[in-house]
Amino acid sequence: MSEQGLRLHPIIIVENTIRTAIALLIIIFFTAGESLDMLIIAGLAAAALVVLLVFYYRQWKLTFVRFGETDIVVERKTLFKLKKTIPYSRIASVNLNRGVLNRLSGTSKLLVNINSGYNAIKPEASLTFEQHFADRLRNDISRHVYSDEMPSFEEVEQVVRFTTMDVILHGLFSVPTQQSIIGAFFLLNSIVEQYRVAVGEVDAGPGGVLISLLMFFIFLALPAIRHMIYYYGFKVHRQGDTIFLEHGLIRTYKTSFRISRINAIRVKNTLFSRLLRRSSIEAEVVGIGSDDGSGNTRPLISLLASDTTTQSLLQELVPEFIYERQTEKQPAGARRVLVVKGIVASAAIIAAMAYPSLLAYRGLSGEGSGIVGALLPYALPIVTALVVLAIAYSVSVSLRVREVDTGEELFTFVNGILDREMVIMSYDRVQMVHVVRGPLARHFDVSSAKVFMLSSTGTSSISSGLFSEERLERIGDIVMERAAAMKH
Amino acid sequence: MNMETSEIADAETEDYRRLNRKCMLSMYINNGIVYAVVLTVFLLLLNFVPTAREPGASPIIMLAAAGMVLLLIYFVVGPRIYYDRYRYMITADKVDVRYGIIILRHILVPIERVHQVEVSRGPVNNMLGLANVNITTAGGVATISYLEIDEAEKIVERLTELINSMLRGRE
Repeated sequence: MSEQGLRLHPIIIVENTIRTAIALLIIIFFTAGESLDMLIIAGLAAAALVVLLVFYYRQWKLTFVRFGETDIVVERKTLFKLKKTIPYSRIASVNLNRGVLNRLSGTSKLLVNINSGYNAIKPEASLTFEQHFADRLRNDISRHVYSDEMPSFEEVEQVVRFTTMDVILHGLFSVPTQQSIIGAFFLLNSIVEQYRVAVGEVDAGPGGVLISLLMFFIFLALPAIRHMIYYYGFKVHRQGDTIFLEHGLIRTYKTSFRISRINAIRVKNTLFSRLLRRSSIEAEVVGIGSDDGSGNTRPLISLLASDTTTQSLLQELVPEFIYERQTEKQPAGARRVLVVKGIVASAAIIAAMAYPSLLAYRGLSGEGSGIVGALLPYALPIVTALVVLAIAYSVSVSLRVREVDTGEELFTFVNGILDREMVIMSYDRVQMVHVVRGPLARHFDVSSAKVFMLSSTGTSSISSGLFSEERLERIGDIVMERAAAMKH
Repeated sequence: MNMETSEIADAETEDYRRLNRKCMLSMYINNGIVYAVVLTVFLLLLNFVPTAREPGASPIIMLAAAGMVLLLIYFVVGPRIYYDRYRYMITADKVDVRYGIIILRHILVPIERVHQVEVSRGPVNNMLGLANVNITTAGGVATISYLEIDEAEKIVERLTELINSMLRGRE
């Protein structure tokens, strides 16, 4: 290492050049389009490539990193100078990512995040080094930050070993229920269309089946595959006060964060995962950003696993978020509010759909044949009836599911109709509390609360169901009492 | 925070405070501008979109006209209710704001969590000598609206002092 510090691996010249060149080409393609001939576009692209290579070479040549006793300093001595000092004491997580280019070049990307709501989804520093050197650096930084070394997942005994089948089930059933239903509808539609074409009932149209299949891929298949690739080989382990995660098929992720950085824990399940009696656990952590955009998601500390496994994982990984809960269901006032809202919404939908239904009946009577032909004139009333049923279902489920609990150090909201989540939060991490009462809620003497806290995506708010005002105001009171106790 | 500062802060702000009546004028002017824009767009659509004059469109036009009347009532009655209900309180520990026209909100911000305090003034508020105080926490922003500029400056000063004394106490 020179006095100036370490240079990053030169592969970043190629990586940055490719990324910017692709962005430029897209812009040129969409703005100039057919007005430029291919020769000019090729010439422009070649010139841009040379300029970018020179630019990023110079940036690489003049960028240095120093790992001191108390901080990391990243210094860029280009035209736009930059000197970024990251004290070890402010670091929230230090993670390793390996993309395709990293694998080809034998490098790893070291991502250093601080605990800040500002710039929460991007790392403070993204440093590419040779793989072994990056591993060593991560260990060194880890010793500074966590007073602990990175565990080797081969050596430690894991609480739960997630199999490839677990990853596949997680990919399939962690997609939000509404999205799954829409995706399944398009898949079914494409099969029916294909069948009708096959039996000669209809002519093969220009891509009707393909569009349905495409929609199925967009809504269901792609998110499921993305989850499977992202969480492939999922491993989780707690050592001391630090949680370590490792996963990824194409790009590998090694993430770690301290328990003290967790603001809330979410135990989540979708309708389909509930049928399999499986739930996943997410941690609301600040400072785990990654420059590939995965920082937008909260880290999972458990894939969809059986409810008993989820409980034991909570016990092993985050016992700090377990307490004796005395949950309270929504009171009678909430039932009245929800029922009245449901009736008003249903009446509004019926009123809005009455005239179009009449027009559709007149227009579509006698159209088509068979079952479809018989049902077609009644399509809008059927859809309206289904929506009204969905409203009734959501009212009844909301009454059954929504809970609140205010413990001494932690409090919990349980929410959701199709996809449900139990959010366990620490009073000490609450930034702001809103207690809200609409006219109906006022009449029936209930309120809802919205709690604001820092999250991996910057900020997040978690809403409660309808409960008595005193019960929800208690959250703010406990936050104040604990803040005052800490101050003294 | 030393005891004296804490006591002064508590004594000064033990009760909820109300806004200056000028806030209603500011809201009326803002509402008037918004309503004029919405009404102009509505009339332009009514006159220049051919389908709007077709008989089939009359239920939609009637609904939109009813919406315009409701919006007018809201804009006329709203400021008075907003003024009557608005309360805020700043103690040594917290910022507490209660407000709302149809939906009532109670906002509680522990002073401990405040990162930044700023005064902002739009053109109408500027004309009337009013300002908003935006209180930024790591989890979002709470606003005390339509304060007289002197009062807004005092609040910012007081909050800054409270935060600084809290930070000094931690050291």
